[in-house]
Amino acid sequence: MRRALQSMRDGIGFDTMLVILALSYLFVFAGLPLIYNVVISFQTVDVFSLGTLLHPSAGAENYENIFDDRQAGTVLWNTIIFTLGSVAIQFTLGFALALFFHQNFTGATWIRGLFLAAWVMPGLVVGVLWNWLLSGDFGVINHVLESLGIIDQPVFWRSNPDTSLYSVMIANIWYGTPFNMILLAVGLSAIPEDLYEAAELDGANAFQRFWTITLPMMRATIGAVLALGVIFTLQQFDLFAAITQGGPAGSSTVAQYWSWELSFREFDFGRGAVISVLMIVVVLFVSLFYVRSTKAETQL
Amino acid sequence: MSPALTNRLMLLAALLLAAVYLFPLYWMYVTSLKTQSSIFAVPPEFLPGVPQWENYATIWEVANIPRFMWNSLVIAVGVTLITGLFGSGCAYVLARYRNGWIDAALFAVLMLQVLPPSLMVTPIFVGFSWAGLLDYPRFATVLAISAKTMPFFVILCRAAFMTVPRELEEAALVDGNSRAGAFFMIVLPLARNGLLISALLVFMQGFGEYVYSASIIADNRLQPASIGMTNYLQPNQVNWNAIMAFAATYVTPILAAFVLLQRQIVNGLTAGALK
Repeated sequence: MRRALQSMRDGIGFDTMLVILALSYLFVFAGLPLIYNVVISFQTVDVFSLGTLLHPSAGAENYENIFDDRQAGTVLWNTIIFTLGSVAIQFTLGFALALFFHQNFTGATWIRGLFLAAWVMPGLVVGVLWNWLLSGDFGVINHVLESLGIIDQPVFWRSNPDTSLYSVMIANIWYGTPFNMILLAVGLSAIPEDLYEAAELDGANAFQRFWTITLPMMRATIGAVLALGVIFTLQQFDLFAAITQGGPAGSSTVAQYWSWELSFREFDFGRGAVISVLMIVVVLFVSLFYVRSTKAETQL
Repeated sequence: MSPALTNRLMLLAALLLAAVYLFPLYWMYVTSLKTQSSIFAVPPEFLPGVPQWENYATIWEVANIPRFMWNSLVIAVGVTLITGLFGSGCAYVLARYRNGWIDAALFAVLMLQVLPPSLMVTPIFVGFSWAGLLDYPRFATVLAISAKTMPFFVILCRAAFMTVPRELEEAALVDGNSRAGAFFMIVLPLARNGLLISALLVFMQGFGEYVYSASIIADNRLQPASIGMTNYLQPNQVNWNAIMAFAATYVTPILAAFVLLQRQIVNGLTAGALK
């Protein structure tokens, strides 16, 4: 006993204890829920059976219900469009901004920093802001688009089923662009200057330098940023809650929102868990890719 | 073009881009100070008229803002304490050693960092209701959020601990300190800035959290400001000046902290994402 205490204070026991503390916490509040999630996806869990650990078995019924659901197709399609659209656009904008601020001019770093103000804001507040900006009758976005002659009459972004998903996507792109920009900027600044100088001496123009130096040198960073973009977009929930709440008529529902709705609006936790299980598999798969690309970059 | 002129033009373009990008924040503050009739003016009034400061006083009273902000603060402090207490030591060990076990632990932490709260809340809620934790909803929410912030915190702090030279710690051991002594007296103070910034980021996440609070806390006397705002938003979709005053009250402390510590926050966040 004394030796164990001694080791806690002054040996390998100290380090082990520090790691075990955090890992046990994570095991209880993240690991166990992950396993439990799979269990309840095969059970009937409603308000009446909530208080028990195990619930009546449902076999594969929850899974069948989800796959047969009329909404499933729309939700899958919405999730794909929302994720790929958001990631593609915020990556492109982020990369363009990173390249722009990489030019040496007075105040570049400081002004670039201003963009990150959006990033520290709570998602819900960002959603409420865009809810107002995209308002149909009095929204400032409609006013600007009309005065530029891009649209003739107000677009009812949030309440039109054809545009509701895009109203959330616009907010998400605004929210996610600075993150892409700053990570890509870090990658850009790691490229040695003399590579560019050598290429310039060899007569390569700006475009050639971008294709033959910047892109190949940034490969690991780009992989990590794209993977993180997908991961964060699949985590996005607050914007949906603040802008469309998945509506109108489910037209802007994505998988993570549907899972939550089934559990906390319809109180059908079994079916909510089914979508949760399926989506977590997707997220973990993408994050394997992310971990691999950061490993390649920093020799983790 | 002369270099000086190019420099000026680039600066001008950068300022324009930043102005366009940050317009939503400007619009939030301007709307929050307008009268009810001028929010619906066509065309919109881009410059503020006479500031209607009483919008803030009214919404504070009507929407119970102080109570919601207090709950957000309680949740944020709880999350920061739990995350910091459990996470810092783990980050330190993960930074100090390199072997198979450490790699495995690091991998587990990285994977846990990506789990979406909106998906994890289903099993957590069902499990908590069995364990009776839902009787203490704010505490239960803090426990759930901490499981999300801890991996993030560990990754950030690990980067901070890596900057502390190992030799300093070894010198302390030679001087007769115990391992625990060297950790608390030497390593923690040296990594302090990195730890504080990471803790601040965790605090901000707790302060703005929505999914867990919305699912776990049913009693509106215990709900944080994120829920208070959605509750007010649903039935009052026309009072945009009041809603924006609520939003401004909620984010101004966060934006102020960001403006003061911009450089450190940006460094901290980028260290966590790519290293």
